[in-house]
Amino acid sequence: MDDVDDINPFSSDAGSPIIAANLSLDEDLSPPDTPVNAPARLSSPGPTPPAKRPLPLSSSSSRQQPPKTDFCCTRDQWLHSGDDVEILVTGAQKTSDNSKTPYIAYIIQTGHVETRRRYSEFESLRNSLVKLYPTLIIPPIPSKQPISDYAVKQAKAKEDANLISRRKRMLHTFLNRMARHPILSNEHVFHRFLQSDVSWTEVLHSPPISTLPKNILKAPAHAPTDTTSAQVYAALPNPSAAQPLRHPDARFLESEIFTDKFANHVSGPMEKVTRRVMKRWAEYSHDHADLGAAINGFSLNESGALAASLEKTGQAIDTGYLSTSALLQEMESTWAEPLHEYSQFSSIIKKLLMYRHQKHVQYEMTQDGIESKREQLQTLERNEQEAQRLEGALSGSTIRPSRSTNSGTNGSGSDENPETREQDDAEVPPYSPPPPPARRGPPAMGFLHALSYTLHGMMDVDPETARRNSITKTRETLSQLEDALQASAQDLKYASSTIQADLDRFQRQKVADLREMAISMARSHRDWCKKNLEAWEEVKRETSKIEDHPNRLPLNEPASAPVSEPTTGRPT
Amino acid sequence: MEEDDVFDSVTWDTPADVRNNDTHTPLGQGTPVGLGFRLPSESDTGPRDPNEPKWEGYLVTAVQDPVKELAETKDTYVSYLVSAKTNLSHFTNKNPSARRRYQDFRFLRENIAKDFPACVVPPLPEKHRMEYITGDRFSAEFIERRRQDLALFLERIGRHPVLQRATLVQAFFESTEWSVKMHQHIAHPPGPEPSPSLLDNLSDSILNAFARVRKPDERFLEMRENVDKFEEGIQGVDRLWMRSKTRVNDLTSDYHDLAVAVQGLGFLESGITDPLNHFSNTLLEFSSIMRNCNDNTTEPFLNHLHSLLQYSHTNRAVLKLRDQKQLDFEELSAYLSSVVEERDRLAAIVSGRAGSSGLGLGSYIRDRVDALRGADDDRSRVEKMRKLDIKIKELQDAVTTAHDTSDAFSDQTLSEQAVFQHAKEAEMKTMLTNLADGQIAAYKESMQEWDRIIPILQRIRVDV
Repeated sequence: MDDVDDINPFSSDAGSPIIAANLSLDEDLSPPDTPVNAPARLSSPGPTPPAKRPLPLSSSSSRQQPPKTDFCCTRDQWLHSGDDVEILVTGAQKTSDNSKTPYIAYIIQTGHVETRRRYSEFESLRNSLVKLYPTLIIPPIPSKQPISDYAVKQAKAKEDANLISRRKRMLHTFLNRMARHPILSNEHVFHRFLQSDVSWTEVLHSPPISTLPKNILKAPAHAPTDTTSAQVYAALPNPSAAQPLRHPDARFLESEIFTDKFANHVSGPMEKVTRRVMKRWAEYSHDHADLGAAINGFSLNESGALAASLEKTGQAIDTGYLSTSALLQEMESTWAEPLHEYSQFSSIIKKLLMYRHQKHVQYEMTQDGIESKREQLQTLERNEQEAQRLEGALSGSTIRPSRSTNSGTNGSGSDENPETREQDDAEVPPYSPPPPPARRGPPAMGFLHALSYTLHGMMDVDPETARRNSITKTRETLSQLEDALQASAQDLKYASSTIQADLDRFQRQKVADLREMAISMARSHRDWCKKNLEAWEEVKRETSKIEDHPNRLPLNEPASAPVSEPTTGRPT
Repeated sequence: MEEDDVFDSVTWDTPADVRNNDTHTPLGQGTPVGLGFRLPSESDTGPRDPNEPKWEGYLVTAVQDPVKELAETKDTYVSYLVSAKTNLSHFTNKNPSARRRYQDFRFLRENIAKDFPACVVPPLPEKHRMEYITGDRFSAEFIERRRQDLALFLERIGRHPVLQRATLVQAFFESTEWSVKMHQHIAHPPGPEPSPSLLDNLSDSILNAFARVRKPDERFLEMRENVDKFEEGIQGVDRLWMRSKTRVNDLTSDYHDLAVAVQGLGFLESGITDPLNHFSNTLLEFSSIMRNCNDNTTEPFLNHLHSLLQYSHTNRAVLKLRDQKQLDFEELSAYLSSVVEERDRLAAIVSGRAGSSGLGLGSYIRDRVDALRGADDDRSRVEKMRKLDIKIKELQDAVTTAHDTSDAFSDQTLSEQAVFQHAKEAEMKTMLTNLADGQIAAYKESMQEWDRIIPILQRIRVDV
């Protein structure tokens, strides 16, 4: 009863984007490390990972916001120092600290602070964030290695240099996407992840992560750890994802359709063709390695200018091999990996939209629930009135136990009990309320229900009280549901607007990333052409040194058809 | 034994010594590179070297303008305009030209090969090499391909100091009555060069084909080795390049698909449809540049490489023929020495039966058998000796001829190697230059294409 009258938790802060930032303020357990007082130093590049992807988002998000002043910790301060900050993943180290089996620890450099985290810690960070911020697009981390890889390469798979460097790059991207997110960058859990002297296990076992509800659908969308309204949310139904909406939101419907298309296109044609192209370039580069060696070997048989030309040709082919390897690496990190990231993003967004859909279903279901409860209450109250009227008429007469039975069964299939029905025919008005759609069960169930009520009625010493109790209870439930409906409505509103806002942000980020991807692609291809062009120009210079055949026209002879006609030239 | 002395005077041992000196001295001296020759024997003595090929003039040839003759009949054929620029004295015209068909080229080659057995006569393209691929003997691709091959053939002839002067070559370019010339040539084969015609008369050799040269000549061994290495190299490069060519072809279709995928993305991302379409076009353009480069640079390069390999095969065949000539001579010498030995044995028996002591058990037994047969009278022995003497005389002549032939052939071969080396270098130069030109053009073009797209992409408005 008390809950019903509770002040709605949303009223104060729903809709404000930075809600969760203060949730964990009381949790600043980590002592601040070296004070960050040299911003110029911080923005200097320092040791960068080998193939670092430029993040187009850099700094812009923090610039748009008013400068933040209430920092929760030094990491927070550093992240919002106003400079172009970049978290670096400087290395990967095999270690066995705090673990029985060795694992790869990734060295994260945040300004002066260096932290080591393993892949599983990243994973748990991300999983926690997904629950803490059910309405935000949490950037993806590199997907787990396929099991088949373990089977083939067994223990060595973990140490596979390629895998590690790819993970390094993608974790770097993840951390910086976090750092540049207008809301997520304020999350203290994230700050503690970057803190070197914080045990991650401890963070996982302390609030807010430890207080996360089991089912985030039954928790407020803006602050899943807020337990003050737990009872209100407990009243909400648990909707299934497949349930259709009665009144779907056109915008989100569109978003869902678009996300599906995008996901299909990126993980379909885009990624597939990219994989094929990369595979072919790898083969091409391999072919050129062989060919270069063959031509260099061939040049050893010759002498003089011809040998030199052949050697240069071999070198040009070798350049083809080297430049293609470089091209391949650049394509991997600036095209294939971002593509994959976006394929991951699209499934994250699908889940996000699904969450909103469920919230919406939840809202509609609660509405239905209230509707049926109201009808139930109406019936009960009518019965009560009827009973009082009868009582007034037959004052002093004996109480017939069947009356209370009747009232109890009302609304849940009174047709199943012919016995009581006969007796009640006179008193009960012909009106019979339609059972609420959600609660309509098969007839057998209704019968059992009726039976149980009958038994209950027979044993009941005071049917009057029972009926009154029932009314009170229904009222209680109804008011609970009404609160829940209000909460749900607020929640849906909040989720919709936050998701929409983050989707808009994501769309801008996507355009920026696509732009960057295309530019890098063009650049690396251009560089590839340039390197090869130079190598072949060298060949041309060298071949011009080969002496012409003695059988040639004298130099003063005007060059005419027979001379200009190359033996195997391009067809004109 | 004294027979060996007799034989020695005939054999090539003495000249061989001289030649050995020839081959050894330049190795010590260090080879002058001016002429680009690898063979030591050519590079040592400068212009006085008899093996150094000498060109009396130039003959620069071309094959152009293929025309389909007698179209719509079953006798359709393609004629090509063959033309030349020359200053050779036996040409009446400095710029001769004529229309010839493939058959005429064939006739030319067959007859030159017959007339100059010691020369490396360039091969012709096979008759229907491409027909199976293109399906049509008169398709533009086939004709163009053949035109290139024929041009290469004439160029090689023109570059050969001996062949460029052949009368048949002159007729090929100049004659207005080519068919008459053809018949004349068959009826009265000209004796063009003295040495090759001399070589002909010994073709009916008495040897078995599997015999190996007894005294292999270092120079030719080295040549053979060089040719082998060269051909091996070409084959290896050819195989790998073919593979890479297929790969590039696959890549072009991959880039095409990528372009389509990017375009599809452009349809989805309504804000950046236009720049993505441009990007997609660049990918398409890149794909087609690579394909063009493959078709117009790599393909001709590989064709030429192939043709060079064929040319090298004929070169190798000449080297083999030279070995054969040496073998002729060696086998004849061996035969001669056995005949001489037999005569001497008989002479020893006649001159005083005691001579058999040193002649071994075999001869002794033969004498015994002859004696038992009652045929061991000196008269028959003398008769036999007389016959043997005649045979020895014949054989000595044959050995001398074979020796001369072998030597002449060897000299010609040395010269041929030099000629081939020249031709090879010139052709490799053309090939590599064309290849480099094609690659440079392709890379330049695609670089421009990528450079063009970057500013377009940079103009995408980003507001994050």
